[in-house]
Amino acid sequence: MSAVTFNDVSRHFGAIKAVDAVSLDIAEGEFFAMLGPSGSGKTTCLRLIAGFERPTAGDIRIFAQPVQDLPPYKRNVNTVFQDYALFPHLNVRDNVAYALMIAGQGRRERYRAAQEALEMVQLAGYDLRKPSELSGGQRQRVALARALVNKPRVLLLDEPLGALDLKLREQMQEELKSLQRQLGITFVFVTHDQGEALSMADRVAVFDHGKIIQTGTPEDIYFRPEVPFVADFVGSSNVLPAALVAQLAGESRPASIRPERLILGAEGRIRARVTGLSFLGLATRVSLDAQGTRLTALLPQDAPRPAPGDEVGVGWNADDLHLMTAGAGA
Amino acid sequence: MKPHFKTVLLATVLAALAPNPGLTQISEIGEGEGALSIVAWAGYVERGETDPKFDWVTSFEEKTGCMVSVKTANTSDEMVALMNQGGFDLVTASGDASLRMIAGKRVQPINVDLIPSWSKVDDRLKNAPWHTVDGVHYGVPYMWGPNVLMYNTKAFDTAPQSWNVVFEEMTLADGQSNEGRVQAYDGPIHIADAANYLMYHQPELGIEDPYELNEDQYQAALDLLRAQRKLVSRYWHDAFIQIDDFKNEGMVASGSWPFQVNLLKADGVPVDSVIPQEGATGWADTTMLHAEAEHPNCAYKWMEHTLSSNLQSDLSVWFGAVPSVPAACSDGSGMQTQQGCDANGMQDFDKIRFWRTPVADCDSQDECVPYYRWVSDYIAVIGGR
Amino acid sequence: MTQVQPAHFTSAGGIGTRLSDILWRHPRLLIALLLLPPALWLGVIYLGSLFALLAQSFFSIDHFTGLVKYEFTLSTYAQLIRPSNFDIILRTVVMAFCVSLTSAVISFPIAYFAARYARGAWRAVFYLGIMMPLWSSYLVKIYAWKLILAKEGILTWALQKLHLEWVLDAFLALPVIGGNSLSVSTAGTFIVFVYVWLPFMILPIQAALERVPPSMLEASGDLGATPAQTFRHVLLPLALPGVVAGSIFTFSLTLGDYIIPQIIGTSRLFIGQAVYQHQGIAGNIPLAAAFAMVPIAIMGLYLWAAKRMGAFDAL
Repeated sequence: MSAVTFNDVSRHFGAIKAVDAVSLDIAEGEFFAMLGPSGSGKTTCLRLIAGFERPTAGDIRIFAQPVQDLPPYKRNVNTVFQDYALFPHLNVRDNVAYALMIAGQGRRERYRAAQEALEMVQLAGYDLRKPSELSGGQRQRVALARALVNKPRVLLLDEPLGALDLKLREQMQEELKSLQRQLGITFVFVTHDQGEALSMADRVAVFDHGKIIQTGTPEDIYFRPEVPFVADFVGSSNVLPAALVAQLAGESRPASIRPERLILGAEGRIRARVTGLSFLGLATRVSLDAQGTRLTALLPQDAPRPAPGDEVGVGWNADDLHLMTAGAGA
Repeated sequence: MKPHFKTVLLATVLAALAPNPGLTQISEIGEGEGALSIVAWAGYVERGETDPKFDWVTSFEEKTGCMVSVKTANTSDEMVALMNQGGFDLVTASGDASLRMIAGKRVQPINVDLIPSWSKVDDRLKNAPWHTVDGVHYGVPYMWGPNVLMYNTKAFDTAPQSWNVVFEEMTLADGQSNEGRVQAYDGPIHIADAANYLMYHQPELGIEDPYELNEDQYQAALDLLRAQRKLVSRYWHDAFIQIDDFKNEGMVASGSWPFQVNLLKADGVPVDSVIPQEGATGWADTTMLHAEAEHPNCAYKWMEHTLSSNLQSDLSVWFGAVPSVPAACSDGSGMQTQQGCDANGMQDFDKIRFWRTPVADCDSQDECVPYYRWVSDYIAVIGGR
Repeated sequence: MTQVQPAHFTSAGGIGTRLSDILWRHPRLLIALLLLPPALWLGVIYLGSLFALLAQSFFSIDHFTGLVKYEFTLSTYAQLIRPSNFDIILRTVVMAFCVSLTSAVISFPIAYFAARYARGAWRAVFYLGIMMPLWSSYLVKIYAWKLILAKEGILTWALQKLHLEWVLDAFLALPVIGGNSLSVSTAGTFIVFVYVWLPFMILPIQAALERVPPSMLEASGDLGATPAQTFRHVLLPLALPGVVAGSIFTFSLTLGDYIIPQIIGTSRLFIGQAVYQHQGIAGNIPLAAAFAMVPIAIMGLYLWAAKRMGAFDAL
């Protein structure tokens, strides 16, 4: 069963088409990521699901129920906000139990539920603190517990890890993923960080200018971008222009190839000049210029390294070159 | 409290008689000090700024070089407070303030021999008790007038004969009740108006003087005022607000001053005034000299000026009052005429019971209710108690 | 041997520069210098006069001469609880309470609109609309209201045109708040108080509401709260410091005002008028001082109660 369905949904703000004729289908129990640069419409889509925005046109269903006319408080959908939006006048326990208090549950019952939710996010014992006394990561967990305490069928997460530092972010990514598996709730996750989207989601929708450009598994998105924008935005794939591909593969279409799949040596399919090297730890990134086409290669640590200014041959396995559907490429 | 007040009064009288250096009157007028400050009622000291026709300060300043500054006061209590603070030379005190200032030694005796025009003062005022204590003069009569009954001629076919229109609930000639359409003065001295009314209608109370009330008489007056509270929506305090109320609030009767009557008539509002059968209270103001006046010479020159210039005549027109110098009505020194003086109450002197400060130690009976109780009880009456 | 200082360490050497250097090295000194004048102002002028007032209230007055007797006594305070004086206090406090409550109720939607929706030109219109009444003279406004509320005034005229006089008449027939016309009724005093103090309520509430992120309200709705529940459980608690700040203004301004009830109303005294009459007119400074201590005491109690009720928790 579909958890969330969009049928040609648009949300326009005057002349600005924040969301433009988007159709999508999120399956129950799925971890779905909406990825795109800022202003691409992914957050507006999330707000349309939550009910904070109403569509200008189109049809939104949550578990087959049309929800265009349903206010947020009547939707069985909860949100983890980018700024967490914790209530500053309530302590952690009352924040988490808020939905239950609104639902009219008794004090003991809702405090026990809040206790469980806090244990789930490893914040047991913080009940009586005020949000202002917590660190960013702890606030994030409180927001998560608050959104999960009344067991919504869909959980919306709006850039929830954006404010955390790298290490904490990686840890939270794993926790979120396992939490989702454990609870079986549909997660819809908005992010502009492609690494986050790819590592956590079952499926990813890439947004640009109010439209979904491509939807697919992380592998699809990563290895088989359909348009140059996706290739470029998701992990900086090399894009070979259609003219070059016509020479090499006989088809006049742009193509992408992952940097780690490029092989540098004396021989190769094309010639390129090394313009720069950067040390990344596990690998070395080599910037190349092949007759005006900029390429990036990732060399394993033990591979021989060229020097800047060297002329090298660039090769790849034919399978790794992915032909795209449209566009002239970067 | 009684012995206390007697003590104060006794001390005052002794002080007034004894050759106290602070209180001796001066024997000759020297050079002017170049300045003079006066505490006065609004409209009392005009220099042509409100209306160019009414100016009795400029000529004085030109003649004597004493530059006049005026501090306006709205009530007698305010005048007493200002004189207690000090820093003023003269005050135009009404009778309900003058004795208090004499008792408080805030004013000094006046040597009438230094005021050539003293002889022109109305004989009825020369030895008036509100400025003369044991034959000693504490001031020069300035202006006087009755508290008239102002009424709307549309609500009354004929001039009301009695103050009962503001004291008792009744249906007026226009067919409507007087409730909510009458006003009363927002000052404790209004208790005397009630006493004056009772004096006529309830002789068994034995009131001889509305400013000298024993406990029973006083309570009867307060009861009358409590009944009046039900008729009065708002008490009048400021002459101009009363004028506005007669224009916009549908007021039809109130104790008032000729000042408001004249201004309303000039605006075409159908009002007139009368002194009803019970008589009326009134005010007689006296120019008094501060005990520590900085400019006594200018002050004496001013007192002479008040009696000898256009002041008496023009001020009586301006304020709707009666001059203290009867000649001012007809001698052409200003705009006043004999008819005008009569309209303002010149002939009603005997019907008028002039404001005086009620004191515990009174003449007509053993003990009277003193003024401080008038103050707090009148606040209570207005408050609905 | 002469010591030569390196050129780049010598300052220009002016008094001003040296003073700046000293202040830079002693930031506390700078703060002290900046705070000294206002502290002196507050300490000497404000607190000084307050204590002078307090001291006066322990004297009494000689009722005939009107001169203050400088002897310690509590009799002046005893006068305050006389029925006629206590009425004044009670009347004023009830009025201040009603005015504050009504102002808050009226202000909230206006402030909410301004904080959440007004942008650009609308915002300018809002500020102008709120502030403009404050630019015109307070007295002019009150006299204007006297004309509006008078028996033969604008309001009556408008209601006559609408054939709704009976509404006004029915309202004026009510005991206590009614009267012969609005301009001479307690209701009239109340209306003018609310009008005059409203900006002092709107602005603090608006400031408080502006600090509430929109996501906070969305989060509440998201978790199942209806708009009414969101108001009750989120918006009101977060705006409460603003409401309390506003009510401190409206409450204390009403407690102290002596002009409105003199021009509009029933002639029954309010604390401000009692202070004015006893001080300025009757010269009874001790009683005026005792009356003046009442609003101070009431505001103290009010702030204490507001703090107890958690009005400042969200600060």
